[in-house]
Amino acid sequence: MGTNGNLYKPLKAELIKVIDESPLIKTFMLKPEEEFSFATGQFIEVTIDGMGEAPFTPSSSPLKKDRLEVTVMKTGYVTDHMHQMQAGEKMGIRGPFGRGYPLEKFYDKEVLILGGGCGFAPIRSLLYNLIAISDKLRKVTLCYGSKTPEDCIYKPYIEELRQTPKFEVLRSVDQPDANWTERVGVVTVLLDEVQMDIKNSVAVVCGPPVMMKFGALKLLEMGYPETDLYLSMEKNMSCGLGKCGHCMMGKYLVCKDGPVFTYDEIKDQPHIWN
Amino acid sequence: MSRISIPKREWDERLVQLLSSFDVFAPVENEFSCDYVKIEADTVPDIVYNKPKPVTPLKKFFLPVKENVTSGTAPPNPLVILGAPNCDVMALALLDEIYLDEEYTDPAYKSRRDNTTIISADCLSIEEHCHCTSYGIEPTGNEHSDLSLALVEEHLIITSHGPKGQSLLDSMDILVPESPTADLLQSMKRLQDEVLDQLKAQNRVLPDYQQTGELLSRAGDETWKHYSSNCVSCGACSAICPTCSCFLLIDKPGFEKIRQLDTCQYPGFERVAGGEDALGVLSERFKNRYMCKYVWKPEKYQHRACTGCGRCIETCIGQINKNEIFVALSK
Repeated sequence: MGTNGNLYKPLKAELIKVIDESPLIKTFMLKPEEEFSFATGQFIEVTIDGMGEAPFTPSSSPLKKDRLEVTVMKTGYVTDHMHQMQAGEKMGIRGPFGRGYPLEKFYDKEVLILGGGCGFAPIRSLLYNLIAISDKLRKVTLCYGSKTPEDCIYKPYIEELRQTPKFEVLRSVDQPDANWTERVGVVTVLLDEVQMDIKNSVAVVCGPPVMMKFGALKLLEMGYPETDLYLSMEKNMSCGLGKCGHCMMGKYLVCKDGPVFTYDEIKDQPHIWN
Repeated sequence: MSRISIPKREWDERLVQLLSSFDVFAPVENEFSCDYVKIEADTVPDIVYNKPKPVTPLKKFFLPVKENVTSGTAPPNPLVILGAPNCDVMALALLDEIYLDEEYTDPAYKSRRDNTTIISADCLSIEEHCHCTSYGIEPTGNEHSDLSLALVEEHLIITSHGPKGQSLLDSMDILVPESPTADLLQSMKRLQDEVLDQLKAQNRVLPDYQQTGELLSRAGDETWKHYSSNCVSCGACSAICPTCSCFLLIDKPGFEKIRQLDTCQYPGFERVAGGEDALGVLSERFKNRYMCKYVWKPEKYQHRACTGCGRCIETCIGQINKNEIFVALSK
């Protein structure tokens, strides 16, 4: 939460490292002035002083309390400014907000994760958490798609994950280069080759709206129950407190009731894919 | 609940005394309309009782158009708002649900609510677009105000609805608080019944609140395009609405944030950084406001998101009348 109990006052956090992930995506490692906890899937509001504020789900492990990371695509006013910032500068953070992934519902299940582009950011945080509880899981399959090999983020982490027992990673790109050896096509092509025990699985989808839509619809077609399909929704979450109304999605305020929903919860609400 | 009556002349004297410890706002008629003004000793006799409704909705006392929500300003002066109509008081009950929720109590809103005593006034007449009773709201005071009053035959009949109102009443040192006489109560009841009859006659064809959600849910895209054709996205309906309370946060240097009232009627309200905008089309924005009030908020909150004040009808420069829409949809 904010400082001095004020919900709107950001907690200051020092930018201690900037990592280039792709031409448009950077990871910002932050050290908050006070210990800061979040549950995987919850989001925070990041303030760029005097410029604006934007919501991000941390991409770092929720088990670390002294620092956190957000992975940000340069795509608007606030993120353009973030991409110009250097280590040593200060940002502000508020939160954590909303409802994250209900990990206890993943116990004794196979977990299929479908991610696209910068949607890998919240997924990485989830993966850190799943590794920590891997004794309670059957297996975890990550299907990750991006436009080009250059746009694939977290390359060292992918290699680490591939060495982790119970975890497998499948990747695709829309436009391959000469060195690309993995699948070609939109991310849903990877679903054709996964071997999952669907009746004992849950699925998680996070990515750009169009990918979320086609990913979710394909998973439903494959037989995933609507109640076991988790979607991390992207709306214009501004206050984070369920008050400002900008993230209204039918009867839900995504900032407070989400951002993680099951498909079953939101299927009848308007504008879920845009 | 306790009830007293007091001659108007004595009430006015007590109000003048009250001005030394409270800022008092009450409706006063001006050249064009009737609106809240800060009351001074010489304007106490100008206060309008029992007439609907001040131009400004009650929410503006608790959610100013613009305020710094990070600076931790000093608590505001103790405030008395006298003469709020019940449609507005019931709208405040919804805002309390949103802004005083246990998980995220809004500090600025709470501070203003704590510092304010609300004295509602029974509506003993109606205006052209008043339709509170169609939405299950009585035009007389209840426990959502601290005190409620009615001016009947040069007497104020004052009802206390809780400790905050009673404490204000006690502080007024009313010399001999009397229970209202049976004749006075009978006169008040007659006036109240007349108002209920007038509201019923005026809104005979209007579907009630329970039906509104279903009627809107059935409406197709063509309906929304048709009814929004005169809308210019000016946002006046939201600004004047006692329950619309969406806002924008604007960042200022020093990690400060300004809260400014906003509306889903403005383009870009739901736009995200990638450019997706669920409400990019005018008819979708227009629909959103109706769905929010009559379908989605009723699923989420206990109190009505439309209290039948009729201000949105009066203010619309496109002459869009939501009651006409509901009547048409119900046919």
